[in-house]
Amino acid sequence: MTRYRRVSGDAVEYEVFARKTRGDPLHQVGSVVAPDDDLAAAYARATYDEERWIEMAIVRKDDVIELWQPGESSET
Amino acid sequence: MSLSDLVLSIADNKQMLGLRYAEWATRAPSLEADIAAAAMGLDDLGHSRVLYGCLEPLGEDPRGPEREVDAGSIRSLPYFDEPWSEWGQFVAANSVLDTAFTVMIEACVGGSVEVLQHRLRKMLMEERYHFLHGRSWLRSGIDTGPLHRAWREAIEWFGPPDGETAQLYKDGRLSMGPAELQARLEERLESRVPEMTIDWKQWDPIRRRGRSGAVDERTFAMLRGLEEKRFAQAKEA
Repeated sequence: MTRYRRVSGDAVEYEVFARKTRGDPLHQVGSVVAPDDDLAAAYARATYDEERWIEMAIVRKDDVIELWQPGESSET
Repeated sequence: MSLSDLVLSIADNKQMLGLRYAEWATRAPSLEADIAAAAMGLDDLGHSRVLYGCLEPLGEDPRGPEREVDAGSIRSLPYFDEPWSEWGQFVAANSVLDTAFTVMIEACVGGSVEVLQHRLRKMLMEERYHFLHGRSWLRSGIDTGPLHRAWREAIEWFGPPDGETAQLYKDGRLSMGPAELQARLEERLESRVPEMTIDWKQWDPIRRRGRSGAVDERTFAMLRGLEEKRFAQAKEA
């Protein structure tokens, strides 16, 4: 698990996703580090709210299941 | 005390809360918290502008010329009189006082006054993130000093059980009175008000506070635009 020491306990990394129109796919706009979901939501909204997103979502980075990474083949 | 007086009190407190948040935009414990402090500061300054804009449609603007010269005429709580020196003060204000103001705005939106019903609704959506931020930091633990002070000032700000706020509730212009506001605040913060005795005889019904005092000189000068003039270059002759 991705963990960071901070002033009050451990924090984990969250990926932030957003889209501007209903037709757009959600895409990653950045990440935040926070100790819990509430604070991660507050940080994501504060950090990435400059644009007029119609939807924003966060997900714990550790909950993302990677299929392959750069340099690896999708065939293997 | 009229509904306009109450709206002006919310506006002045949100203005001061926004300014105090902004002072922590480079001093919070993490970069994310810095950014959140700046964003919440901007939100609350914006909310105060909306609230000031409601005074005219309400039919009565209690702001007089004394606000240009007397810091004591600003209707903010003692908690905002001086800049905060500790992060715990920020968290107590963010969790308890910011939520107390939100609960009062809910009472305005749920009341019978149309201009408040319509104009204040959006604030509640933005305040959701202030609440999440404050509650999370509160759970991480802070000193009881600023926390108890914030609770006391929140309960004082709601007003006495038989005062004007209670009357606005009876008239239907607010959807909650002091007791309901306190219960809603306790429910949100998942905790009870600490033991305290409030001497309502000492309470100022216009400034909604139990203690005299005023915003510090520098902040008051900034509110009036004087700080800006101090740093402006002199015009060439």
